[in-house]
Amino acid sequence: MGLTDGPALRVEGLHLAGVGARLGGRWVLDGVDATPPPGRLTGLLGPNGAGKSTLLRLLAGLRAPDAGAVLVDVLDERTADGPSAERHDVARLPRRRRARAVALLEQESTSAVPFTVTEVVALGRIPHRGASDATRDAAVVAASLAAVDAGHLADRPWSALSGGERQRVHIARALAQEPTLLLLDEPTNHLDVSAQLTTLALVRDRGTTAVAALHDLNLAAAWCDHVLVLSEGRLVAAGPPAQVLTPELVEAVWGVRCEVLVHPRTGRPVIAFDGPAPGTGGPSSAPASRQQPAEVLR
Amino acid sequence: MTTTQPARTDGPTGGRPWGTRVPARLDASGAGQHDDPHDDRHDERRDAGGGTTARRRAPLTLLVGAGALVLLASVLVAVTLGASGLGVAEVVRSVGTHAGLDVVPLDRLQDAIVWQIRLPRVLTAAAVGAGLALAGAVMQSLTRNPLADPYLLGLSSGASVGAVAVLLLGLGVLLPVAAFVGALAALLASLALARTGAALSPGRAVLAGLAVSQLCAALTSFVIFWTAQGDSYREILTWLMGSLAGAHWSSVGIAGLAVLVVGTVLAAAAGRLDAFAFGDTAAAALGVAVDRTRWTLLVLVAVLTGCLVAVSGSIGFVGLVVPHAVATLTGPSHRRLLPVAALAGAVVLVWADTLARTVFEPRELPVGIVTALIGVPVFAVLLRRGRGPAWA
Repeated sequence: MGLTDGPALRVEGLHLAGVGARLGGRWVLDGVDATPPPGRLTGLLGPNGAGKSTLLRLLAGLRAPDAGAVLVDVLDERTADGPSAERHDVARLPRRRRARAVALLEQESTSAVPFTVTEVVALGRIPHRGASDATRDAAVVAASLAAVDAGHLADRPWSALSGGERQRVHIARALAQEPTLLLLDEPTNHLDVSAQLTTLALVRDRGTTAVAALHDLNLAAAWCDHVLVLSEGRLVAAGPPAQVLTPELVEAVWGVRCEVLVHPRTGRPVIAFDGPAPGTGGPSSAPASRQQPAEVLR
Repeated sequence: MTTTQPARTDGPTGGRPWGTRVPARLDASGAGQHDDPHDDRHDERRDAGGGTTARRRAPLTLLVGAGALVLLASVLVAVTLGASGLGVAEVVRSVGTHAGLDVVPLDRLQDAIVWQIRLPRVLTAAAVGAGLALAGAVMQSLTRNPLADPYLLGLSSGASVGAVAVLLLGLGVLLPVAAFVGALAALLASLALARTGAALSPGRAVLAGLAVSQLCAALTSFVIFWTAQGDSYREILTWLMGSLAGAHWSSVGIAGLAVLVVGTVLAAAAGRLDAFAFGDTAAAALGVAVDRTRWTLLVLVAVLTGCLVAVSGSIGFVGLVVPHAVATLTGPSHRRLLPVAALAGAVVLVWADTLARTVFEPRELPVGIVTALIGVPVFAVLLRRGRGPAWA
């Protein structure tokens, strides 16, 4: 492959070709074909257990799929004769070079080690050791903290942070890897509304190819350029949120009834939930007086 | 975790239209802009002593320089302490003579005390202390368990079985070999028990080590109970508590070489050890070959510990407490922690052994008693201050 060591790889494109994965004898992902658009934020949607976290691990190359392949178009910046991306299996890229190009933010990640916030973010520089120097590392760490608006936390012990602060520090750690492919598992977990919006805006506006597993359909609708909907390990829909997130799809995948409205200023879809669909075991539906779609649409 | 979130932005009641920027906070919790009052899982640690204070770490070169000086001074002074009146000058003269320098030699008796008895013992203590601190720090990191110590995988108990067996057979000369073999056997048993497929789960390793330790301890007790009497009983007890009384230059060689070799590898692996802090997936995402690194380093550290146990018996608390105490100075980053912990472990054991052989002169205490007597209060202080690891 000729990719043993060298400067950072740039991920220019991402392709899932018939990706399947087994866990404990069961196919948790099956025949997933998708091409998340490069340089854009793709939302990975689906109910609990749909296979979102497993898919993110496959995208990160941390495990090889049991069927199909995750392919990345990578640009080796040291190639002399002009840049041209080559397609590689992400699970077979050399570990450290891959970690300089692909960052994964896990869903739940905690530690008993008494690190300061700066030290936690500096973990993101581990793949760059030998290819970077202390001054540059410190600058990237500071910039990553500033990017998530957490510069003031730099010297605080990590263990003393709130859940939301921890989440932002984890995002900074991922940014410190200087990834060109950013994979986020529930990045808005624990964040308040303002921090949720700031985080997704930050990820989208970086122009990095990003795939984020999200539970909040409205966040996905408002911020993602593209969404992939997984249900029981299969890809059931893919495309721009306005086309994908229809009441029929939401009911079929999540078992929830809703109206899809249009945001009066952004034109993005807004999903107003009625309640669980009949037969799913929850309360029948929200009182009609609370739905008020006409008012929002005004 | 995730279920609270949609309700906050857009609940079943319709909520406010999306995209409306929410003005500051509406709740009265008074928390800062970016605090999340809805998640208080971690807040109980916030006011634990030393919890919130901003922390700047001391420069590494300063810590290593100071540590090296303290160690050198400790070794020189420790050699002078004991029955015959020796000074630092005599120690330097003896060392100078043996190094082939042009100094006035000591008389033969004094020279023998320094060069044949005290210096090898003090240097062995330094090497064993450094090795135990290194091994403890690495075990704690690889198993993500702040209570891990170098003997975690049944090493000391395995070594004890070997040692007790040869002591009772009257083959004391074979003691280091038997202890080393016992330690390795216990290690292999623990790893075989802990292994699931190719992966080595830290939790299973701890449990497997516990099982092997208990088995070996029972074996040791049985053998002692059944056969030991008189002198061999005291000899065994001394070894079980850890002692440097039998140290020769060969002990310095074994322990010193093991520390140097393993220490060099660990220095190169320090960055990868940091990557384990947030678990295996995080480490893998940072480009670390998780299983290979954990296996290699665990075995390496176990061999180091086997060498140490072979020369000194199992000396408790140094490998557990020193890394935590040092981490309050250096922080948990292994590039900083490992060199300073090695120096600190060396100094601690030099002084613990000096106390062990001088306090009740001419009788000697097993050094393990001294390290426990010192280690427990230090451990208690770390625990009370809420420093060191985030003990629940």
